[in-house]
This record gives sequence, C-alpha cells and structure tokens, in this order.
Amino acid sequence: MPDRLGSGPTLFRQIARRLIGFTLIFALLDVGIVIFTYTRQPESLVQELLTLEAERVAALPDPAAAQPPPGIANWSAARVTPRHSGNAMLIDWTRRERIAGGYRISGVRLIEDGDTPRWMFLAFDTIGIRPFVPVVLRELREHVLVPLVPLSLLLLLFNVVSVRRMLSPLHRAEAEVDALDPANMAMRLSLPLEPREVNALVRAVNRALARLEAAVITLRDFTANAAHELRTPLAIMQLSIDRLPDGPAKADLMGDTERMTRLVSQMLDLAQADALVVDALAPVDLAAIGRAVVAQLAPKGFSIGRDLRFVDHGGALAHGHAEALFRVYRNLVDNAFAHARGDTPIDVAAGPGPQFSVRDHGPGIAAADLPHLFERFWRKDRSDNQGAGLGLGIARRLVEAHGGSISVELPADGGACFRVRLPVARETAD
Amino acid sequence: MRLLLVEDNARLAALVREGLAGQGFAVDWCDTAAGAEAALQVTRYDLLLLDIGLPDGDGLDLLRTIRRRRDTLPILLLTARGGLDDRVSGLDAGADDYLVKPIQVPELAARCRALLRRPGAALGTTLGCGNVTLDTAARSIAIAEAAIEAPPREVDLLEQLLRRSGHVVAKAALENALYAMDADVTPNALEAVVSRLRRRLATAGADVTIRTVHGVGYALLAPVMGTGNA
Repeated sequence: MPDRLGSGPTLFRQIARRLIGFTLIFALLDVGIVIFTYTRQPESLVQELLTLEAERVAALPDPAAAQPPPGIANWSAARVTPRHSGNAMLIDWTRRERIAGGYRISGVRLIEDGDTPRWMFLAFDTIGIRPFVPVVLRELREHVLVPLVPLSLLLLLFNVVSVRRMLSPLHRAEAEVDALDPANMAMRLSLPLEPREVNALVRAVNRALARLEAAVITLRDFTANAAHELRTPLAIMQLSIDRLPDGPAKADLMGDTERMTRLVSQMLDLAQADALVVDALAPVDLAAIGRAVVAQLAPKGFSIGRDLRFVDHGGALAHGHAEALFRVYRNLVDNAFAHARGDTPIDVAAGPGPQFSVRDHGPGIAAADLPHLFERFWRKDRSDNQGAGLGLGIARRLVEAHGGSISVELPADGGACFRVRLPVARETAD
Repeated sequence: MRLLLVEDNARLAALVREGLAGQGFAVDWCDTAAGAEAALQVTRYDLLLLDIGLPDGDGLDLLRTIRRRRDTLPILLLTARGGLDDRVSGLDAGADDYLVKPIQVPELAARCRALLRRPGAALGTTLGCGNVTLDTAARSIAIAEAAIEAPPREVDLLEQLLRRSGHVVAKAALENALYAMDADVTPNALEAVVSRLRRRLATAGADVTIRTVHGVGYALLAPVMGTGNA
C-alpha cells in the first residue's frame, strides 16, 4: 500500500498558517497606527471620549444619577432641552482645558434625533490616560477588528477553494504515476493546461519516463537479441553432440543443451511477454487453442507415460492474441508435467465463458510456496534440473497483457489447478 | 529426394546436411538468398529448408518471391526467431512448416517427410509406422509384411493416423476424412471405428498403438525403442 498522504503538512495548511501569521502582523501594525494617531491628536481623543460618555449616560433612565467612569472627577451630566420649542438647535461642542494632572472637559452632544431633538451637557475632569482607554478600545474594534476578521475569513475560504482547485492536476498526476507499470512503459502522464508549474513538472516526469522506457527497451532488446543469437550456436552444439558415440557423457551433454535451449527460449519468451501489448484484439476460441496445445503436447505426455485430457465446457470465447494464449496453456501444461510426477493425468479445460484451466493430480502446492509461484526464476527445488522458473511468470505476464488474471486453486481431492480468466469478449460495433 | 538448404552458418549447415544424409535425403547447400535463387533456377528441388536470417536479405523475402511465382515447392522455415508473431508471419508468407532452432535431426527429418507426403508431393504412396504399412493406392494394409483385410472406413482412418504418426489428429479432421459432408455422424461413430481398428491391429500383431487424447483426437504411436520386443 503506497503512503497516500505522505508526511509533512499539506499545502493548504501551510498557506493557512502563513495567512494567519500575516493577519496577526497586520492587526498589530494596525493597532500601532491607531494608538500612534490618537496620541498625536489629543483633541480628537477628547471629542471621542465626550461622545462615548454622552451615549452611555443617555442610555440610563436617570442621567443625573449616572456614575462617572473610573479616572474621572468633578462629574456633572444634564439633559439639555432648548427653552424655546420650535426650530431651536444646539450645536455639538467640546472644550478642553488643561488642569493639574489632566484635562477639564466639557461639551454638548446630540443624543436623540427625530421630532424633538435632545442634547446632553457633560463636564468632567480626567486624570491620566485611564479615562481614554474605552475610547481607544472602541477605535481598535472599529478600525482593526471589524475590517480584518471578515477579510481573514474570506482569505481562508479562498485558500480552501483555490488550493483544492490548483492541486487537482497534481492529484490526477499522482493517480497516473501510481498506475505506472514497467510492463507498459509507453504510458505517459496527461498534461494539465494549468498551472504552468504543474505542467512543467508533468513534462519533466514524462521526459524522465521516456528515458526510462528507452533504457528498459534497450535491456529487453538486449535479452531478446542475446537469446536469439544463442540459438544458432546451441543448434550446432546439439547436432555435434548427436554425432558423438552413445554413453553417459553424451547423455549429460544432451541434457545440458536441452536445459540451455529451454532457458534461451524462456528468456526470449519473457522479453516478448514484457513487450506484448494486446491492443488490436482478435476474437479467439480458447477451446480451439486448448485442443491445439493438448494435441501438440500429448505425444510428449505419451513418451513419459502421462495422459493429457481436454474438456470443453462451452462458450470459451475471448479477445486476445492466439499465439500468446497458446503459450500460456503450454507453459501451464509444461509446469504440470514437471511438478506432478508419476503417471497422473493432466486435465485441460476451456470455459465456461472466457476462462481456461490446467489441473494436475500431483502433490499440490505447499502454502509457503504459493506467494512465489509466479516469481521469475523461482523454483521450488533449486537442486533439480527442471527449467529456469520462468514458465509461470511468463504465463502471468501474458495473461495480464490481456487484462486477465491467473490464479491457482488447490482442489480438495488433491493436485493443483491453474485457472486463467480473461475479460468478457465485448461485441464491437463494427 | 533432393533438398536445398539455405543457411548462412557453415558449421550448422554441414551438421544438418550430414544428419539428413543419414536419413536418406540428398541435401544441397547455399549460404545466401541470391545463391538459393540461382540454385532454384537450375535444379528441381523437392523441398526447401530456409533460414530467415541471411547475409544478403530476409529469408521471408525469398519465400514471398517463390510464392509469387505460384511455385508450390514445399518450404520449411528453419529459424532462430521463435517470437509470438514470427511463426504466424512465417506461415502467412507462404511457408509450409516452421521449425525453431536448435533442431534435432529426427524431428527435422520427420517434418521433411511429412511435407513430402503431402498430396501432390513427390513421395510414394506407401505409408508406414512400426511394422504397419498402408498402400494408399491399393487401399491395403500389411502388418509385418502380411496383408490383412479391413473395411474401407478403417483403412481411411489408419491412413489419416499414419500420415501424422506420432502426432495427435483432431477428431473433427478424422470425421471430415471418414464421412461425407451430409452424412449423419453420431458422436460415437468415430469412437467405434477406432476401437474396431485397434482390435484388428492388435490381433494381427501390430506393434503400433492408437492412443486416445480425450476431448481432442487420436494419435498413432510407433513402438517405443529400447523397451524390448514384447
């Protein structure tokens, strides 16, 4: 299971953290500016204080009984009503006089608008800066908190939405990279149109893939060419050995060349299986292929006293590469020949549907060996001289190139049954 | 039998020639496609053994040239190419058979004989395996040179099996050869003929066996060497 999330914070979290940091710095800066501005302008601070106190007192039922806030002395407050009703108006005013330790502040504020406007007269002394604290706090709320909080929230939301969207090409690329397979080296990541950074990264990955593909193909071709070139000298060796006088030495040499021949064939098969891309799918009859394989291998079975039997369960039609599927069957039968000793028969069956199986009646397979069966160059017993351990690996690779699967079953009455399932053949439109 | 071997490896060619000579074939040899063309112009060969990889071109090109001339000369491809599509492309190009190196002389000789037995080919009409012989013209069977009587259908069956002795002959192919197109063949009809022929051969002392390959067909096997003459 690949580590889907990886370690370290997500991009979203990193951006969110930075946004919060910037917001805090900005808020502090804002506070500094507000405080600096008011200390340079005591006049407006005084005006604001008077307005604040007037609003507070006006909200009380009895303004005359209002208590002064802390730090204020010589407090007096009174409602003012113009003596002449009608259009008489008072004008808000503020006066500030310097006294010992503070200011003497007095003034009038409009506290009730509408049909009968009312005013409030206030006069009090301030000592120190304590009385001005509520004013500064209010200013901070209005100029720092109110604009910054919604803005930060909006930015966070934007972060969520845009980061998601920006990263979606990366998520897709991640899924495609996970799907990369040495078996299908021609695959490339699809290029996103934007953002350019991701596009550039995907292009770079694709260039790397192209280089890897070239390297893999070189290696595969090398294997194929080497195996191919070995065949003619092997043929010469084999024919030369045939001419030797009979004896144990000749028998050993013949056995050795047979094994080399087999290995060379399997290396070539493997290189081809790796390169096989089943794209132009032709309809194939798995039963016909099964019969052909049994017909070809039955004489070999006769020579070692083993019966090959074929059963057609019907409907075994699929799309695929007939020659490749022939080799899958053949490798499975060869495997059964090699691993179920004695004179037990081997049952080959096609169908029902797009599947086929090869079953032997030998000793079965130990549970510990099951995970290794399809590994390349794996052999149950390395000391015996049966093959190179490539047959089942080749079979699996060929089946997978068809989009199918190969599995092994251990029937209750003994032996092992290799089953190949291919995708259901779809009727093409044309 | 005159065969032409086209193979660029001199040692391999010498070994193949020697091996086939031991089996009664006369084999001429040339190592290039051009040489083969020239040899085919002047000599009438019964069979061509052709390597695909040649120094002056692809053996498949030579094969196509021969087939374009409507020449029915049997051709057996001898090749190091055993790829998934190589056999098919070789047969598609007009080869009659395909053998991947390394090769064993008995196998090669058997394939050559099989190709020469084909209808229209130059070989005689007596087929044999073990101590059984069949004269395809006279429709007569002999076991250890003693003629035996058999109904025509069993003779037909034996002929089909002898033509591919050592190989499995498909049930469908046998049915096609034994029964007319419109004949109503019951599934067991062929089986019955096979078992009658088996009994007849056994009572007459034939040393060949007819093996059943379940679900596929039948094979006529020669006596196994070295297991005594029981």
